[in-house]
Amino acid sequence: MGWLPWSSDSKNSASDGGRIAPDRSSRQKCWEGRDLFFTCLDDNNILDAIKDDQEARRKCGKEIGEFESACAKAWVKYFKEKRVMEYNRDKTIERIKKEDAAKVQDLKAQGWTPR
Amino acid sequence: MASTMRPLVQLVGRASRSTFPSVERNILRKIPSQNAFLSLRTTQSAYTSTFRHNGLSSPRAFSTTPLRARARTMGQLKARNATGPFSWKAALLFVITGGAMIIYFRVEKERLARKRIAELSKGVGRPKVGGPFVLKDLSGNVFTEEDLKGKYSFVYFGFTHCPDICPDELDKMAEIINNVKEATKGENVFLPVFVTCDPVRDTPEVLRSYLQEFHGGIVGLTGTYEQVKHMCKQYRVYFSTPQNVNPGEDYLVDHSIYFYLMDPEGDFVECIGRQDTPESATKVIMEHINDWKREGKPLKKH
Repeated sequence: MGWLPWSSDSKNSASDGGRIAPDRSSRQKCWEGRDLFFTCLDDNNILDAIKDDQEARRKCGKEIGEFESACAKAWVKYFKEKRVMEYNRDKTIERIKKEDAAKVQDLKAQGWTPR
Repeated sequence: MASTMRPLVQLVGRASRSTFPSVERNILRKIPSQNAFLSLRTTQSAYTSTFRHNGLSSPRAFSTTPLRARARTMGQLKARNATGPFSWKAALLFVITGGAMIIYFRVEKERLARKRIAELSKGVGRPKVGGPFVLKDLSGNVFTEEDLKGKYSFVYFGFTHCPDICPDELDKMAEIINNVKEATKGENVFLPVFVTCDPVRDTPEVLRSYLQEFHGGIVGLTGTYEQVKHMCKQYRVYFSTPQNVNPGEDYLVDHSIYFYLMDPEGDFVECIGRQDTPESATKVIMEHINDWKREGKPLKKH
């Protein structure tokens, strides 16, 4: 992983001591790796790549390898957590919508009309 | 604008008032002069006939006279004033005035709403976003809140190791900078600022090459951990940067992801968030800049 600008100690420092962040092209590369990995997780019905790490590595070994080598460690963790968070968020929104629709249906059955 | 509207309204009033009397006067003048003889004769015959039939001289008997006379003049009136009192001029004036007033009231209503928002953070006892701070720009010069004044500034907090949101938002910022530049015809009244929340890793050199990828016009600011923490506090930005991190250790920084639009007096005006597109953000910013100019307040243009 030493070829990445931010992943090894020798190359990731600027002359004034700061650590260089990924530039536009390496960000793009990381995002592409992430998208490929997540597509594979979708195909295998895996949601949480942290909890189900072993299964994810077994079924999407190639993708996770590319993803983890293209992104910094903290990013990998962030994206994996974000995937779960977004899934739960969407689920919650959907549930609330369904409940709302059911309630409207129920009220309509009681003779209430929406204004 | 109110003063320009008033004469227009008066003009319409005058136009409509003067149209009606002139028509009435025309009718009155017509009847006696041209049809005097005719009406006199018919009056006499009508009078005699009704008198003979009813033996009564009721005023109703005279009703036939003006009828016939009117019929005569109506033809002429029609020819003369084919459009009646509602001439195309009056109609046009009416429509233009009405339209202008509707537009004016809408514009003014929106302006007042914006003014109210802009003045929310002025005065005593208001929740304050922004305030005094001391940081350094990328050349190592001291940069304080005084350096933001005189222009509309656009403050964003972030860090270069930000995974996905900051790069998106900075691309948006670049687009907004170009849009505003274009809309102000190249005037230098807009100052985009990027403050790093992660001063340990984001040294001036790192920050410079990072911002260069988005827009060369963004002013990058950094400082000591305490200075940055204070700056974030002033702008009510959630700040979670770990202070003592081993070199080489990777970490992320949670931070608020709003752009803060500050007016030339250094007061908070509005925030632009994830939901805004570059276009909607530019619109909001330009409205405030134009309001400021219209009120004749000073702006630095260099």
